Amino acid sequence: MATRGTNRARLLLVSLLVTSLLLITLDLRGVSVVSSIRGFTQSALAPFQSFGSTLISPIGQFFSDLFNLNNTRERIDELEKENQELKAQVIFNKDIEGELKQLKGVLDLAGKARFKTVSARVISKGGTATISESIVIDQGSSAGIRRDMTVIAASGLVGVVKSTTANASVVMLMSDPSFRVGVRVAGSQFMGVLSGEGQNIFSLQMLSAAADLSVGDVLLSRGSSGDAPFVPGVPVGKIVFVENATGQLTKEARVESFVDLNSIGVVSVVLDSRGSNPGDALVPAAPRPAPTITVFVTPSPNE
Amino acid sequence: MSMSINRVPISSGLLLLIFLFQEAFVNRINFFLGGFALYLAFAIAWILREERSSAVLIGFLAGLIADLSPTLEAPFGLWTFTMTGLAFLIVTYVRGSLDSNLSPLTLSVVTTIFSTIAIALFVIFGAILGQDVPSFSVIARELIGNALWSFVLAPLYIPLAIRSHKLSLSARER
Repeated sequence: MATRGTNRARLLLVSLLVTSLLLITLDLRGVSVVSSIRGFTQSALAPFQSFGSTLISPIGQFFSDLFNLNNTRERIDELEKENQELKAQVIFNKDIEGELKQLKGVLDLAGKARFKTVSARVISKGGTATISESIVIDQGSSAGIRRDMTVIAASGLVGVVKSTTANASVVMLMSDPSFRVGVRVAGSQFMGVLSGEGQNIFSLQMLSAAADLSVGDVLLSRGSSGDAPFVPGVPVGKIVFVENATGQLTKEARVESFVDLNSIGVVSVVLDSRGSNPGDALVPAAPRPAPTITVFVTPSPNE
Repeated sequence: MSMSINRVPISSGLLLLIFLFQEAFVNRINFFLGGFALYLAFAIAWILREERSSAVLIGFLAGLIADLSPTLEAPFGLWTFTMTGLAFLIVTYVRGSLDSNLSPLTLSVVTTIFSTIAIALFVIFGAILGQDVPSFSVIARELIGNALWSFVLAPLYIPLAIRSHKLSLSARER
């Protein structure tokens, strides 16, 4: 009886493994039924994700703050002085204020470049089980968003639209390992390709070994044919390390993105660049050094 | 004892609920060090309580639902393949060598280990199929983070998995 049970389990295992391999093959061959299943799931999930985003937003940092108690203790002490009602109001206002600040920033950026954009809230992001760097936003094809549109935040490039449903879109973040974007160094025409590596640091490979790179150089998107997937002139990041290996055919560098991809709440999708190329106009202004006040004291001989 | 066909809808429904909770709520939380795959941990805790045939079927269903995630880059069916195979390995080679009445601590440790192995296998199979793989440090951070949270939060989701398993059984099977 036990052998019969084992054989039955093995037969079931083989048939289910074959079924899953069949699904993988169908998906890799681009069979529309299989590939549209995730689109359907996204449509069904969007209202729940939107609700979850509203609910989780004020406490989303709880688990990371738990391990930084020293840093948050002062803030907790400060908040404990306030009464419960006021504290809830402050948290709510802070959340809204943060989103407004991000929205203002991204609209300023889009306005400067004369891009036609639609703004959206981030309602979910890729989980651990997906091992992909992506977010879900609450605007979709009904707002004019299509696949391969550029997504920006207040400080620069965020990623590219991967798929859309009527009311939501999945955005591949620029930190995804499969993400590639053509860039140029602001103020020059040296070009290269920036690749995602799963975090906020990226690798840059220049097309020419003669490219003159230095730490602090700003990188802008080069733009794609027909402005899809990338519109030109969007700030991407700044160089933090240049690899000076002699004898290489290309030059490589490490880049830090302008946008903190772990804390984006509001983004804009570029619907139409209106044929404009902002050139270097969107390069972020360098921080102004604070004036240093120097006081000279000359001791008096009488004292 | 093979899994009654009547259990498929109720098991799928319960797994779908946890998947929905993962996608709508858990994914929005910024966990320290990586993240937490509640759905995976829940599915593995459930599989650990099943007989061989039913474990394989639950693994298949759990993988099929995990494949629905819209943010997933991997081909549809990869999680199904991973979870089906892993469920068979768990019940054949691990479950048999453990005490028949798993203590909560053993269940937590085994669940933590196998949910981490599930992610690692998924990445490896994805790489074999030509998917882009993140750097080693990113994968290591995700795996360590998931293991940490799977263990720390085990008292919350393991009773839920045990109750869900019981709920899916018919009166005769109970």
